[in-house]
Amino acid sequence: MGVGPAASVAAKPPGRTGGRRGSGSRAEAIAGYSFVSIPMLLFLILNIGAILYAVYISVWDWNIRSGPVKLVGLDNYTRLLNDEVFQTGIKNTLYYTAIWVPLTMAAGLFLAVIVNAKIRGRTFFRAAFYFPAIASSAAITTLWIFIVQPNGLFNQVRGAIGLNPLFEFFGFIAKQNWMGDQDTALQSVILLNTWTTSGTFMLFYLASLQTISREVYEAAAIDGANAWQTFWRVTFPLLRPGHYFVATVAVIGGLQLFDQALIGGGVNGDPNNALMTTVLFIYNASFKRFDFSLAAAAGVILFVVILTATLVQRRLFGQAPSW
Amino acid sequence: MTATTQPIRAETAATIAPVGDRGARLRRRLAYIAMITYAVLMFVPFAWSIITSFKTLPDSVRLSILPNPFTFQGWEFAWNNLNPSLPVLFLNSAIFAGAVTLTNLALGSLAGYAFARLKFPGRELLFVVVLATLMIPDQLRLVPIYVGFNNIGLTTGIAQYIGVILVLAISATSVFLLRQYFLSIPHELEEAARLDGAGFFTTFWRVMLPLATPALSAVAILQFQGTWNSFFWPLIIARDQGHWPLSLGLVQFRLAGGFSNNWPPLMATIVLATIPILILYIFFQRYFVEGVAAAAVKG
Repeated sequence: MGVGPAASVAAKPPGRTGGRRGSGSRAEAIAGYSFVSIPMLLFLILNIGAILYAVYISVWDWNIRSGPVKLVGLDNYTRLLNDEVFQTGIKNTLYYTAIWVPLTMAAGLFLAVIVNAKIRGRTFFRAAFYFPAIASSAAITTLWIFIVQPNGLFNQVRGAIGLNPLFEFFGFIAKQNWMGDQDTALQSVILLNTWTTSGTFMLFYLASLQTISREVYEAAAIDGANAWQTFWRVTFPLLRPGHYFVATVAVIGGLQLFDQALIGGGVNGDPNNALMTTVLFIYNASFKRFDFSLAAAAGVILFVVILTATLVQRRLFGQAPSW
Repeated sequence: MTATTQPIRAETAATIAPVGDRGARLRRRLAYIAMITYAVLMFVPFAWSIITSFKTLPDSVRLSILPNPFTFQGWEFAWNNLNPSLPVLFLNSAIFAGAVTLTNLALGSLAGYAFARLKFPGRELLFVVVLATLMIPDQLRLVPIYVGFNNIGLTTGIAQYIGVILVLAISATSVFLLRQYFLSIPHELEEAARLDGAGFFTTFWRVMLPLATPALSAVAILQFQGTWNSFFWPLIIARDQGHWPLSLGLVQFRLAGGFSNNWPPLMATIVLATIPILILYIFFQRYFVEGVAAAAVKG
């Protein structure tokens, strides 16, 4: 960590303005490298190194104790793609992402537009709408399970305010076990995560909304546009960079659904694999089947899917922001 | 003074307002009611967990706002029956959150400052690498990191703490937020310090770091909250229950500890796991909001 300190001053051109340009002195470079050394080492080993190691493990027959046993090429990938549980995991993950992403983006945008308006108490509303996002996934999911269990708050309140006939129409009994029924478990998780994440997306959209200049709205007002038209014709298109950012974050997050699935359905994503996701499969393959090479192969595939999704989105939304 | 200005403003507004003003006002009022209802709804589940933690088990599945009878049984049960005990879980959470916050502040500000202000070959490339790590899913890293850490003994004994802290030690978000902030500080102060003969580290430590307090606070809050709540890496690396944080303890007890439907103690544990973050949120709400929003500005 020894950064040659005093030498730097001597190396600089004598106190003239414009010395900033072209002052990339040796001492400065050494200081720069030493400042970033430890963080970069961690980033490189724990990310880039980890990817390479995952690819390496995925082409071996890997023993939990002794490590590599036999080079098997793409066998693990073949095994993986024929694994029924993995297929269920992929299907559930894609279903979840397809529903949850647009739902949460819409909710977040809606809340952002509300707290961006000139209303009294907007700080309070902003704080309140973000509130569900502050708790841990463990706490909020356990709480959710309690609320949607057969005797839970949700079923009791809908009974008390007379909504049961409506639910019956859709085929749900008064004591529906939302998380325990394979037809509604994943939907319950979608609802839970929409509720908790909409506050975060609200803040993302809010930052984006505040970059739109007032003049644009004034121009729209002069042209006689009402609030609805202004939103769809002016605000929504101008939020394009915001949409891109939120969609990217959302898809990456959606494809990684794990905590809620494990907490709600255990290591097998019960009931009947209804909560099995790609990532839960990776966890299950590692720590239940102790089949690390299969799990590594699943991780590589998930990464490729996420990378593809990000690139496709970049195409759809045009020029990407800084990353 | 305010008392006199207020009615005048209202009056002028009323005279300028177009026809159909009454309808607009009604709509406004309805919108407010909807917003307040929704805002209250945000707090209901957490309030419900507090209430339930003071109920008996049969009472916990009843739709009553006041516990009847009011009891500490749930809290006592959680206190006496969790293994490891609540204080140990709480302490583990605090160790993880405290250590990870410190490493992110230290490493994040060093890297953030260097990327913002120091010139060295390959700087842009390295920064792209940092940002690219945001796209790498944790789950791809599950197997290699577990296997690697297992090989060097970071998944047993006291080293489990180091293992978890190491994985979370520096996040690209911390580097990014601090870099953006350092970019916004004028060059003059720094140049003055350098002309006075201060070295790069002294300039960073004495001049720039104190100026970055707002960004450091935002990073500290975000990291503390994120790590306190973290579930995934402790689950993978902290294999012995003595090293579990509260989040992991809560889940394991429900799934495997025979707590599955014993709601009052579960709710008591949830309340305990959430209160530190709740207090942070009440006092530092601005930093939560600004930290999350700042991460989005790059979009």
